[in-house]
Amino acid sequence: MEVSVIRSSCQAKICKTELGYRDLRFCFGKNHDKNKIFSRKPNSVCYESQITRLRKAGLRFTVKAVHCEPILESKSATRFKSLDRVRLFVGLPLDAVSECNTVNHTRAIAAGLKALKLLGVEGVELPVWWGVVENQAMGKYEWSGYLTVAEMVQKAGLKLHVSLCFHASRQPKIPLPNWVLEIGKSQSRIFFTDRSGRCYQECLSLAVDDLSVLNGKTPIQVYQDFCESFKSAFSPFIGRTITGISMGLGPDGELRYPSHHKPAKSGTITGVGEFQCYDINMLNLLKQHAEANGNPLWGLGGPHDAPTYNESPNSNNFFTDHGGSWESPYGDFFLSWYSSQLISHGDRLLSLASSIFRDTAVNVYGKVPLMHSWYKTRARPSDLTAGFYNTASRDGYEAVAEIFARNSCKMILPGMDLSDEHQPHESLSSPESLLVQIRTACRKHGVDVAGQNLAYGAPGGFAQIKKNMLGEDVLDLFTFQRMGAHFFSPEHFPSFTEFVRSLSQPELHLDDLPIKEEEATASVNTSSDPNIHMQAA
Amino acid sequence: MATVAIDSLLQNPRLSVSPKAKLLLQLSRSLNCSRNRKLLFSRGACFCSFKPRRQIHAVNASSTDTALIDTFDTSSSDDVLYKETFPVKRIDKVEGKIFIRLDQSKDQRNWQLTIGCSLPGKWILHWGVSYVGDNGSEWDQPPKEMRPPGSIPIKDYAIETPLKKLSKGDMFHEVKIKLIPRSGIAAIHFVLKDEETGAWYQHRGRDFKVPLVDYLEDDGNMIGPKRGFGIWAGALGQLTNMLLKAEASPANSQKSSSESNDSKNQTRQREGFYEEQPIVKEVSIGNLVSVAVRKSPDTTKNVLYLETDIPGDVLVHWGVCRDDSKTWEIPAAPYPPETAVFKNKALRTLLQPKSIGHRSRALFTLDEEIVGFLFVLKLDDNTWLNFKGNDFYIPLTGASSVPGQHGESDTSSEEISSKAYTDGIINEIRNLVSGINSEKSQKTKTKEAQESILQEIEKLAAEAYSIFRSSIPTFSEEVVLETEAPKPSVKIPSGTGTGFEILCQGFNWESHKSGRWYMELKEKALEISSLGFTVIWLPPPTESVSAEGYMPTDLYNLNSRYGTIDELKELVKNLHDAGLKVLGDVVLNHRCAHFQNQNGVWNIFGGRLNWDDRAVVGDDPHFQGRGNKSSGDNFHAAPNIDHSQEFVRKDLKEWLVWLRDEIGYDGWRLDFVRGFWGGYVKDYLDASTPYFAVGEYWDSLSYTYGEMDHNQDAHRQRIIDWINATNGTAGAFDVSTKGILHSALERCEYWRLSDQKGKPPGVVGWWPSRAVTFIENHDTGSTQGHWRFPGGKELQGYAYILTHPGTPAVFYDHISSHYRSEIAALISLRNRNKIHCRSTVKIVKAERDVYAAIIDEKVAMKIGPGYYEPPGGPQRWSSVLEGKDYKVWEAC
Repeated sequence: MEVSVIRSSCQAKICKTELGYRDLRFCFGKNHDKNKIFSRKPNSVCYESQITRLRKAGLRFTVKAVHCEPILESKSATRFKSLDRVRLFVGLPLDAVSECNTVNHTRAIAAGLKALKLLGVEGVELPVWWGVVENQAMGKYEWSGYLTVAEMVQKAGLKLHVSLCFHASRQPKIPLPNWVLEIGKSQSRIFFTDRSGRCYQECLSLAVDDLSVLNGKTPIQVYQDFCESFKSAFSPFIGRTITGISMGLGPDGELRYPSHHKPAKSGTITGVGEFQCYDINMLNLLKQHAEANGNPLWGLGGPHDAPTYNESPNSNNFFTDHGGSWESPYGDFFLSWYSSQLISHGDRLLSLASSIFRDTAVNVYGKVPLMHSWYKTRARPSDLTAGFYNTASRDGYEAVAEIFARNSCKMILPGMDLSDEHQPHESLSSPESLLVQIRTACRKHGVDVAGQNLAYGAPGGFAQIKKNMLGEDVLDLFTFQRMGAHFFSPEHFPSFTEFVRSLSQPELHLDDLPIKEEEATASVNTSSDPNIHMQAA
Repeated sequence: MATVAIDSLLQNPRLSVSPKAKLLLQLSRSLNCSRNRKLLFSRGACFCSFKPRRQIHAVNASSTDTALIDTFDTSSSDDVLYKETFPVKRIDKVEGKIFIRLDQSKDQRNWQLTIGCSLPGKWILHWGVSYVGDNGSEWDQPPKEMRPPGSIPIKDYAIETPLKKLSKGDMFHEVKIKLIPRSGIAAIHFVLKDEETGAWYQHRGRDFKVPLVDYLEDDGNMIGPKRGFGIWAGALGQLTNMLLKAEASPANSQKSSSESNDSKNQTRQREGFYEEQPIVKEVSIGNLVSVAVRKSPDTTKNVLYLETDIPGDVLVHWGVCRDDSKTWEIPAAPYPPETAVFKNKALRTLLQPKSIGHRSRALFTLDEEIVGFLFVLKLDDNTWLNFKGNDFYIPLTGASSVPGQHGESDTSSEEISSKAYTDGIINEIRNLVSGINSEKSQKTKTKEAQESILQEIEKLAAEAYSIFRSSIPTFSEEVVLETEAPKPSVKIPSGTGTGFEILCQGFNWESHKSGRWYMELKEKALEISSLGFTVIWLPPPTESVSAEGYMPTDLYNLNSRYGTIDELKELVKNLHDAGLKVLGDVVLNHRCAHFQNQNGVWNIFGGRLNWDDRAVVGDDPHFQGRGNKSSGDNFHAAPNIDHSQEFVRKDLKEWLVWLRDEIGYDGWRLDFVRGFWGGYVKDYLDASTPYFAVGEYWDSLSYTYGEMDHNQDAHRQRIIDWINATNGTAGAFDVSTKGILHSALERCEYWRLSDQKGKPPGVVGWWPSRAVTFIENHDTGSTQGHWRFPGGKELQGYAYILTHPGTPAVFYDHISSHYRSEIAALISLRNRNKIHCRSTVKIVKAERDVYAAIIDEKVAMKIGPGYYEPPGGPQRWSSVLEGKDYKVWEAC
């Protein structure tokens, strides 16, 4: 394990955070090097108590390995908030590895990695695409390109967070695997479908999760094989360089329905989106559910009075704030069913991922979208069409946090750069309130939250990110999206540098500063040796 | 090959505690720390086995052999320039033997098997048994009583028992296994494992097999009184990495009396035996190479002394260098004895054995100007010793003994040292970034360090930026070229007019309604011309399913809802007379069929171009085309034409040429060019040589959660890509600029009007001469209103596009509205100041509520409610136009 011992208290904090999220049995089996680091912290009381606390947690950990971690984490988070430093990651370009498995702009990435390392960034995030790795035939994996990137990252001394992407990307264009699209040509039912019969070809419908639609295998099995293959191909990196893995859960990797097939086109206001329950399998499930509930007529389709994609909530009856059908018994029936399908899909995938990576030292993450448009209405249609039964009178994110807690997964939330102030007034949107709501649910269930931004260049983005990172709840890590020409451009990079440097300042605390000069000097000397050995090794 | 006595491993070099050496060591260490160089053998230097003496005369050094050692200890080392001991590792092979003995214990009742080994190591016997009647090669675990103490079961088939030293200091290891009578055990199987090296020792590729009953079939690996001959190799496969000598083992086995018996003795009498097997073990042996350099007090030369404890003949393969480049050179004589020149590149000196110890050494006298001494050691033809992959390098000048030029630092590869450097600054930047400002840390980090780190980061970011950027198709050079504004007289290549064009869209979505639009427009020709327009764009002229003309059927039938072909010709003539160039709106992407095919699908064309379904793209299921896949996006309301078909292209080219000749069109407005590859457009334009051509490449800008992204580079890049595909023969409507203006004006975010490089954020910022800027057309506005420009702010839009580079286009509705006079003023200002499509624009303000720019240093403009006055004020600039939230100045 890389432990660079530097005098600054900041460094000690990094180590501590690592302790927190690593497998504790492993940590305490090691020698006392770590304690040395802690002892350098002047606040020795704090150090003592922390060790004992971790030891206790470690014991529990062994008893029930999977469930202990969140408990431990939330404890440390609340008690040592002021000392924790958020780990900052930067996303690599989406097309870091091309379709033919070569690394795109290798030299740029290499230089970029070095720059990030120098800047003090902890690691990078790498999207690994289903459509690249398993493109030609089922079970035929080609990891070489991604392995090269992992090596580069390792060499740069950075950590790696891998996002397993079982969806397609529009820009740059990375479709689903060829063989899946081929199957889709004859069986469009494997895709989400909207009321007008349009298919969403950028990920598979959750209704086929357990149906043998892919050459006799279920998508869940295919995802599992993919993850297993990933695990064995990257075994030298897992737990060392690779510290986190995000499981792709749906469109754009997020746990949701593709309630918008396309990004909003003309005009600036995002519409409410549409329900995506019109592929044959979804309709079948709905039908069964309706019959079981004694209302067979409710199972014939989705709400007839929902608006279309780019319309506002009031353009039809379903989402109307007062007297809308969403509040009727039918509305409740439909929305409960629609959201429960999404929740169980999320549960399936997260438990798959956490069982595969349980015996490794990596954390498993899942991403939940921030459907903040129309949040200020009572019906919150954007949440509803995306599959979260979250209205003014019902918290739809409790159930989400629960499946993350159950599977010991951490939650990634995007949009940490969005502020209410910069949202178009007419969209009645409130990214900040929604974020608070989800994070509250997570805190309640002991789920750690990692952050992401949505787009850079938006006014006030950095300030908002900072606010989110250093607020009440501590973020597990923050991933800045994403490396590319603009990221390093003279217009952007200096402000990013400024942002990184400013991040660590507020945590400066009087008792973080070294007390005795001798002590500090001594530690500088001892630090040089391990460093040199590390480099020689 | 040198076979080395094992005890060389244990050889202890003498410790030297020369104070000078210690000092040097300290120095180098601290330097290592600060420079983040590797400290490879600081410890090794502690047992430096040699000290230089005060006076060494190179020439006679070899004859003073014996004296050397004695003088070392007493001599002071003041004049030592360099002193270092290098640990070296070499692989050697040691021979030993495994012995196997089966005998009866003293009481003559119990048998025991003894297995031993004569080599040092951590030997483990990995063994099992087979029972009488067993088939196959599977082992069983022996009964518990048989297992010697310390045995560990391995799964369910084997036992591992460590061999024990017979006595302390002895190298002999052995283990005894007591055999149990009547246990039914047919044989004991084993292999030997050395835990130190992880090597397995087998017998002829298989396990050793000691038969305990003599009717076992020998399958090749049997040991003992039975015949040891006629052995053939079997495949065990399970255990590998064996290093047993290949000679036939029976050669040195002492079979005592068994030899004569074994073929005849058919009794079940168990016989004792003793057998030895030779084994060879590879051991890694550490040796030391000590080097010291002294100044010779009598001469100006340096004396280098080299000594090693490597046994046997050691050849020093050496050279010198005169600068830091470390190029090998042969120095001038004299050389030490036993020196030969090797291929004119190096010298080879055989080290002379010393009289005491297992050492050998040599003395080299070197000229003062020689900077370094390079060498490797050659032990035999196949064994070379170097220093971690590089030559040993001994610096000879006093100054060069700093670690920077020290031999050891060069042993790390370039990559490692650069990483080391990086890691070093990372540590420092952590301090820096964390921003701890206590006085303490101020002391440890210098200002220069901080700056060098920041510079390093900047350098790396710049490198990454340039590469990432260059992977986007280049256009910047183009911009540079074009900003060298052409003189008005310069003739611009086809497709872009003179560069001073101002376009008028001569119709709207309702123009077909009257049925006589051509005639109505004819009346306005002079008026339009007098407003300052130079080009007019007419509606699609062909027969069409829809009245507006965008669903063409027979391309050669130009009687439409706008008028007849003759009226069109008359109109064009009138427009020409008024000094206007005329653009025809041509729909090349799709064409509506006249007839159904046998499936009832409309895909058979009539009229003069009576194509069949081969002219229709094959990837739109609605129209069951038999052509190739579309080279662009599909327009779903009509059959998309397959431009990859030769006959289609030929027909379309002919048609365009016909339109040019017959009607007199000067150029084209190309509808829905997203639908097919820009390369085909180039084909069509090359054939029809238009004066001006512009394509409608309209797709969505980038929005994130309803908010338009500031950076629309991807969007404008797609348009640029299309223009590129046409080889620049056509321009394109600047949809990016329109979209950005929407957001900027509607939401008071005028900062959007400057991109990250301080240029206009639309296509006009990248490729102005091909950008046709506009704020509204028949689709976005008019009665369709698909993407209407923010109401009431049209004039701000026109103040922008009519003062900026690019070719501006004005929508018919706006010139027939109350905006007319202000638009006319803006057009006349543009013409008066000779602003053209490649004019330079300098953005001077792009803030929340105001955007201001100076164009060609002749015109200043601002839009937005915020305040702006051009520099120098009224004495340099005179305000010529002012309206709601816009203002334009001309230079005095």
